[in-house]
Amino acid sequence: MSLGRLEDVRFRYPGEAAEALAGVSLPLEPGHVTWLTGALGSGCTTTLLVAAGLAPRVTGGERSGTVEVLGVDPGSTEAAAVLAGQVAFVTATPAVQLSGVATTVREEVAFAPANLGWARDRIRSAVDRSLERLGVAHLAARDPGTLSGGEQQRVVLAAMLAVAPRLWLLDEPASALDAQGRGALYQLLAEVAREGAAVVVASEDADGLAPVADRLHVVRDGVIALSGEPGPLLAGEQIWSCGAGSTAVAELARMAGRLHADPRLAFPYPITVDEAVRRWSV
Amino acid sequence: MLLLGVALLAMLLPGPEGPLALYAATGAALTAAGRARAVLRGAVVCLPLWLFLFLLHAVLGEGPRLALGPLSLSADGVDVALAQAGRLGAIVSASMGVLETFAPSRFLDAVAERGWRFHGAYLFVATLQALPRFRDRAAAIVEGQRSRGLRLGGGMVARARAVVPLALPLMLGALVDVEDRVIALETRAVHAGTRRTPLDPPPVRRRDRAWWAAAATAVVLALTWRLWR
Repeated sequence: MSLGRLEDVRFRYPGEAAEALAGVSLPLEPGHVTWLTGALGSGCTTTLLVAAGLAPRVTGGERSGTVEVLGVDPGSTEAAAVLAGQVAFVTATPAVQLSGVATTVREEVAFAPANLGWARDRIRSAVDRSLERLGVAHLAARDPGTLSGGEQQRVVLAAMLAVAPRLWLLDEPASALDAQGRGALYQLLAEVAREGAAVVVASEDADGLAPVADRLHVVRDGVIALSGEPGPLLAGEQIWSCGAGSTAVAELARMAGRLHADPRLAFPYPITVDEAVRRWSV
Repeated sequence: MLLLGVALLAMLLPGPEGPLALYAATGAALTAAGRARAVLRGAVVCLPLWLFLFLLHAVLGEGPRLALGPLSLSADGVDVALAQAGRLGAIVSASMGVLETFAPSRFLDAVAERGWRFHGAYLFVATLQALPRFRDRAAAIVEGQRSRGLRLGGGMVARARAVVPLALPLMLGALVDVEDRVIALETRAVHAGTRRTPLDPPPVRRRDRAWWAAAATAVVLALTWRLWR
């Protein structure tokens, strides 16, 4: 059963002549990691903002089309109470996602559960679980404002995880993380999807998301230009013409193919090192 | 509560003895509570204002004169300056004491415990917490613009010209931050419509209640006395 959907959504920011979204349709499916990618300004972030109900409620602007999350329009005023704790929204800049009032990481992670009025015992166990799962339990007593960007991003993710949201919307969530942190993040997203959440990630990190995403949507000029399983799309040529990129291996193969007319370098390109080794060692 | 009491008393007590006694009492209470640094910081903040008050009222004031070494001072002006200085010192010292002891999350817990509106309290605490970040960003912008060739020294005109490239990114950055923070809070259940759970509310001890009662009584007595008089 679907958690919600975007149907023919159009959106224009205040003062902008062009539409940021020009008819986006996207199902929000529980148990799936959905990946949005595209060139800068293509509309991936706006799609997430609309799905979270933050556009136009916070950003301003005009929206048309249907947006439904857990049976309500997230942009409506009554949705705030219905969707509280049900939707996680993570951006690329962790420092501005902190509550701004917590003096320890533990308080930061407990901020949303406390706002939801949970009992203290329930909050304590949820906070402990989240801190453990994100590998930041050792930072529990630290001031969130003094952590590194990567640590802050983990704390923000732990804060989201604490309330067990049913819809995760993430915009370049790995940009502040190191390679190990990125791997752990994508693993976490796959796990929460398996636990029944719907996960939508807007990112250019093809290497990180290719192994965990179930579906890839390539956004171009405010519309979804390509949709499908990530593997075939990343191995093809069309994704490049949409202004998006593929994995580092696919990019290498593509560049090499331009320099050498070798059939092994033609598309479909290998997208992982293993695939490349199998193909190029022949 | 105590800060409010000090502020009200500072306005109600007649000068210069009342405000000076209040300042002395505030300083003594803070020192006894191990917050002598707040008194010192308060004095540092007040010092230029005290000098200004002295100059304005005592040196430049009118009326009967009294001699203080080589200075000829207005007797009434000295009283006014001392009264204002005492009021300022008491309020600033008490404020510094509050700032030094203020624990944002415990304040929010105390607000939640009493069932008061969370949003106003959040705004107050978030503003206090944002000040150091704002200061850091301002310093970074100054360094950034300087490295791009902006001259911060020179005459008044040069300094005036430097204001826009410094202030504009600071203000724009703050506005972007506000929008991002709103987005973040929207997804942290601040509009859940439920009563927030106080995680670790500060206990209200018998001693605290006694202090509050003493402050309230002093304010009522001072008000009554002022009205009666």
